[in-house]
Amino acid sequence: MLKKLTRWSRIKSPWILHLNSGACNACDIEIVAALTPRFDVERFGVLLKATPRHADVIISTGPVTRQLRNRIIRIYEQTPDPKFVIAVGACAMSGCVYRGAYNILGGLDQVIPVDVYVPGCPARPDAILDGVVKLLGKL
Amino acid sequence: MTDAEKIEKIKRLLGDKILEASNPAVRRVFLTVAVKDLVAVVETLKKELGLWFICTVSGLDKGDAYEIIYHFGDTPGNVNVRTRIPKSDPHLPSLCAIIPGNILYERELQDMFGIVVDGLPDPRPLLMPDDWPAGQYPLRKDWKFDRPQEIIPGGKS
Amino acid sequence: MKFQIPIGPQHPALKEPISLRMTVEGEVIKGVDIRLGYNHRGMEKLAEEKSWIQNIYLTERICGICSHSHSTCYVQGVEKLMEIEPPRRGLYLRYLVSELERIHSHLLWLGVAGHEAGFDSFFMYTWRDREVVMDLLEMISGNRVHYAINTLGGVRRDIDEAQRQKILDGVAVLRARSEYYFKIGANEPTFVGRLAGVGPLTKQEAIDNCAVGPVARASGIARDVRKDDPHAFYDEAPFDVCTADSCDVLGRTVVRIKELFECYRIIEFILKNLPAGPVAVRAPRRAKPNEVVSRYEAPRGENIHYIVSNGTEKPERLKVRAPTLANYPATVVMLRQGFIADIPLIFAAIDPCICCAERTVELVNARSGEEKTVRFSELRRLADERFKRQTVKRNVEWPL
Repeated sequence: MLKKLTRWSRIKSPWILHLNSGACNACDIEIVAALTPRFDVERFGVLLKATPRHADVIISTGPVTRQLRNRIIRIYEQTPDPKFVIAVGACAMSGCVYRGAYNILGGLDQVIPVDVYVPGCPARPDAILDGVVKLLGKL
Repeated sequence: MTDAEKIEKIKRLLGDKILEASNPAVRRVFLTVAVKDLVAVVETLKKELGLWFICTVSGLDKGDAYEIIYHFGDTPGNVNVRTRIPKSDPHLPSLCAIIPGNILYERELQDMFGIVVDGLPDPRPLLMPDDWPAGQYPLRKDWKFDRPQEIIPGGKS
Repeated sequence: MKFQIPIGPQHPALKEPISLRMTVEGEVIKGVDIRLGYNHRGMEKLAEEKSWIQNIYLTERICGICSHSHSTCYVQGVEKLMEIEPPRRGLYLRYLVSELERIHSHLLWLGVAGHEAGFDSFFMYTWRDREVVMDLLEMISGNRVHYAINTLGGVRRDIDEAQRQKILDGVAVLRARSEYYFKIGANEPTFVGRLAGVGPLTKQEAIDNCAVGPVARASGIARDVRKDDPHAFYDEAPFDVCTADSCDVLGRTVVRIKELFECYRIIEFILKNLPAGPVAVRAPRRAKPNEVVSRYEAPRGENIHYIVSNGTEKPERLKVRAPTLANYPATVVMLRQGFIADIPLIFAAIDPCICCAERTVELVNARSGEEKTVRFSELRRLADERFKRQTVKRNVEWPL
């Protein structure tokens, strides 16, 4: 009974934290565009939060640069359990055009464990919403 | 002022400090100077021709020497001042006393090529991460990077 | 008593990682230290290993918002190296997409400025209008951002009569809405009072620090690469350089709104005089050894690419300097003697595109050396509260 209640409350309103790890910004403006009246992700109860301590889901874009690697691990540890990670865009999946550069480690899964991958360069806001909803379906 | 008039005026003011002047395309003027005359030339350009705007500073690795080009933006067109420094002794005088906005470009040259700029007010590295090993300068032609093997989670490696 | 506050790489206000360290005394900022490098991806080294055509896609991904500017600047330069001339129709279509991108970038910035000033409904309105532009771009090129429409020698797609008419209709709708925003900005004393007098940059300081783009134009310097270095068709297109004299964030807002109107003029000129003909010519695989300097006016300022070729299929050197990097020394000057509460607005006023510059605000207590982390949203809340306590400046001059 309690399990059903916690599951219902987790599905109903995931709060997200938006993390940009060295991206070109295209996926980031598509994430912010998902909040605007046309795509409107707030009808699912999703709120964009400022600090990792309030967030349930970390949405991350961009290939991981060397300077940011430790900071990403620290942010992941600051987020309280249960937490989920969504990697948005081809850069977060494997590095996109930047593979082989000296300052890039590859995709996001080299640093923190990822639950959902959303492909695209950049991923459309509809695709990002689809990813978030699929994550809720997995719970 | 057209390009020809600009070159004419520069040659008149600076005489033999200009080793070479060319006009390869419309609104593009390229000058070559020696390193020791660089500060004097830039000062004259700023005062007499009103060239106060530096677009950027590019470095190029030419084997045994570095070629540094200062791109100045003018109305209309632009003027590029080229100078060469040997790899064995890469020192460059700083222009921040004349044009303070030049500082970020000079710091970037230090990071990427290992050129030492004398007289910089703030000589910290600009772009490299904190744990970058010293002595590694990425934009030199002989610097290669071996990418470490990636681990694919849950799949074949 | 001086504090140092870090606004570190992950913060909710800006969408990009950058670290700024500010030395503060009370509420007044005494010094700023900008740390770059969180977004450094090593593009210049990567570009030396890819061929000329592959580099078009690489330079496009330097930035998501101004992707077409980097791609166009690069392609302009390489076309000069290969000594090919794209046909007139291709040129007109390329710069049509440029001007549409400028509109989308300025509307994005207006939304972000409204959000930083606490005016969230303005943010929602401008981003809703931005969707009109995104639909037009998707119709022309197939993607909302990163429209890979440039190729060496012209553009990849053509538009037909029905699409041309749709673009004209879209521009008419946007023009009516932009006039509405202009009116809000001029007659809304709370919004104007929030922006006026904030982040001052005098003309001499802008000259010393080599500021570019709307930041320089708001301090009275009439510099626009489209007039200084008219490439392609800009010497025939009718437009004026927009400047303002107030040297603060209000001036930068006015300059950007005025530029929106100039964009509409240019787009209508392009669509009414679109010449017929092919859209691209074939480009060779190699370029002769030569060097070229290519300049372009991106929405944020002047974009400059320096390309050297050595006769093979790959470039010898590609040097990119994006406009936001040129505005950093000016930002340091602007933030000094300001208040902590104004940091988000001043920093947003230069239209930061840190991924372009490639390349965290820290406030340190100068006496005791202790560090305190402050979130950007916290700063914004402080800004709103401080503003509520202040009296509204009703007789501010709107620099029209």
